[in-house]
Amino acid sequence: MKAFFTLVFILLSNSSLAAEQAEQLFNQLKPSLYQIKLIDKASGEKSSIGSGFQISKNGIIATNYHVISSYALHPKKYRIEYLDGDGNIGLLALQSVDVINDLALVKRKVDSLNNDERNFFKLSSAVPHKGEKLFSLGNPHDLGMIVVPGTYNGLKKESFNERIHFTGSINSGMSGGPVVNKQAEVVGINVATSGNSIGFLVPHDKLETLYQDFLQAPPESIEHQMAEQLTANQNKLMTEILNSPWQEKPLGKHGVIPIIDVPFIRCWGDSNADKTDALILTAVANCSLDENTYLSSQFFTGSMEIEFRYMQAKDIGANKFYHLYQQQIARAGSGNRAGKGNVTQYQCHHDLVMPDNQTINNKSILCTRAYKKFPDLFDVLYLSASIDKHKQALVSHFTIAGVNQKNALAFTRKFMEAVSWN
Amino acid sequence: MELIIEEITRNNKLLHRHKLDKPSIHIGRDYHNDIILTDPHICPSHISINYINEQWQVTDNQTVNGTFIESSKEKKQKANQHIVRDGDVITLGNSQLRLLFTDHAVDPTIAFSPFESFINLMRHPIALFISITFFTLIAASIIYFNKPIEVNFTQLLVPAIGMTLGFSLWPAGVALVSHLTKNDARLITQLAVSFTLFNLMWFSDILKNIVTFNSASNNILPIFVTFTSVILAFSLFWLNSYIGFHMSAKRRMVVSASLTVLLFGGSYLVQYSKKPEFDPRPHYNASIMMPSFLLTTSSSVDEFIEDSSKLFEQTNKEALKK
Repeated sequence: MKAFFTLVFILLSNSSLAAEQAEQLFNQLKPSLYQIKLIDKASGEKSSIGSGFQISKNGIIATNYHVISSYALHPKKYRIEYLDGDGNIGLLALQSVDVINDLALVKRKVDSLNNDERNFFKLSSAVPHKGEKLFSLGNPHDLGMIVVPGTYNGLKKESFNERIHFTGSINSGMSGGPVVNKQAEVVGINVATSGNSIGFLVPHDKLETLYQDFLQAPPESIEHQMAEQLTANQNKLMTEILNSPWQEKPLGKHGVIPIIDVPFIRCWGDSNADKTDALILTAVANCSLDENTYLSSQFFTGSMEIEFRYMQAKDIGANKFYHLYQQQIARAGSGNRAGKGNVTQYQCHHDLVMPDNQTINNKSILCTRAYKKFPDLFDVLYLSASIDKHKQALVSHFTIAGVNQKNALAFTRKFMEAVSWN
Repeated sequence: MELIIEEITRNNKLLHRHKLDKPSIHIGRDYHNDIILTDPHICPSHISINYINEQWQVTDNQTVNGTFIESSKEKKQKANQHIVRDGDVITLGNSQLRLLFTDHAVDPTIAFSPFESFINLMRHPIALFISITFFTLIAASIIYFNKPIEVNFTQLLVPAIGMTLGFSLWPAGVALVSHLTKNDARLITQLAVSFTLFNLMWFSDILKNIVTFNSASNNILPIFVTFTSVILAFSLFWLNSYIGFHMSAKRRMVVSASLTVLLFGGSYLVQYSKKPEFDPRPHYNASIMMPSFLLTTSSSVDEFIEDSSKLFEQTNKEALKK
């Protein structure tokens, strides 16, 4: 009985301690937290909101790139404003961005004579341990600054660019807010949520790198900086994909397809084997890169999708099979969202192609569109349909967003040679 | 001495032709005349044409509205005491008469066009039956090939017959127009010729599919094949007007060419107006056919990559254009 009381007492004191900690932390950090608003100059109203936190004495504030993306792409249309805990409003200037990790640095004008210097957040020097209690700060849905406790659950495995898996509810508007440990050191930045208390954070070391690079050499132009980051990231990604093992895997009775063996590309499968009235038996395998670089609400890049489709005619003639088969491949679309201001229209080339393995003869189509603001970056779509297998067929298809010509063609070549028939 | 008098419309269309062999010809509204005209603006005894001194002379009987000689060059002249020349056109009231002598030169005989035997062959009942059946069968098979679900015979036959009826509206319409314009309707011939050409158009479509299937995007052969459908459409319009209407060869060419331009230019304009300013979807040619239609050898991956690399240069240029 005594033991039970002790246990309850410990639990109680622990939980009250946690609440106290959160409150204490919040009060201590509140002055260095900001709500960040993008104001449309013409209408004078806010067009997007997020959170930010000061990380230096001279007023550098960290936030998410996606909070200020409209300004980065159309600086003449918007201005960036902050609102601090005391209700002060002021202008912010964009200093540097990291589009790949969705980070941005903005600067508040600090009046040192007027005693305007505030506390600022310190970045942690260590990585948290699994299960460690963390506190996410931010301003969800414009409701006011709040603190959300949660736990660190390591890095997200399937992600090419590192993200922390945080168990705790992050909501929109909290984007750009800091996540701190008990010592009030920043270990991550709120970036995304997939609902049900699953949140994702950008690790603090990405911010550290961005800040140090900024101190050494501030970027000359944000657009140029973005182009460099996109080019470097696709180079890193494509080099890793091209140098990873591509495993041969059977699809259907005779198809042989490549599966790229990297953790950040995940595959799913489906078939219509249960539908007895279907005229064509279809088995589909699709793999995709779980990555989507946000450039603006109308423009995403960095994604990759691969799809294979094995088809076999049941009770129909070859002529009908090929008619239906053509309908299946007639309307492939791009894998990423992009608008008129961002990309050109697609241009396509098609031909009959037999790879060196001589096992399959394909009608192959390659389409590409160029990015208007970022030189030598393209969206690529490839579609190939076998035309020599009588009443069976294998379709291989991929889309890659934001690659340069060299990587796109190297990938296409490797992909074309990897699809075969036995 | 004989005189030929033709009643004509103001557009020179022949209404009646009279050949009279008497020295004095009376024309007017009452019943003792040689030529009785019903035009209310004509007097009961309007004119008489008399053979005097081996010449025909017009005499106007002091009529209310007068009688005039039509002339393209000069102004209207009063016809009273006029000496008739071959081919003269005189106006009385609202009517026109053309006066011709027996030695008036006629146009040379037009030989049957080589199409005549083709048309005669096609409009034979058996040939007509075959071409309409053929059309219906092709329509049914196209519906069958493109249905992703199983279909029975009636489900195919009903839309196929509907399509055949829909297509027969064209020759029927042409026949109706030629009937209304006082030409021979010749419905069967129009049907026969139209369906023969519709069938040829199916074939040119299949040919086009085979060519596009077998050629790469930088090949110009498919464009040439597209011309066959233009030529077929022109032939259809030419034959329609040859069967249905009497007109000069030049005029027939112009009419058929205009209809062809209207058809292809119109459908191009419709497509063009529907085209969005920016299309995020790629447009490519995905035509594939059975392996038995595969006629060419395939390119290698190297060739494909090299051709594709040009796309990157093109789109890059496009991106630089602001």
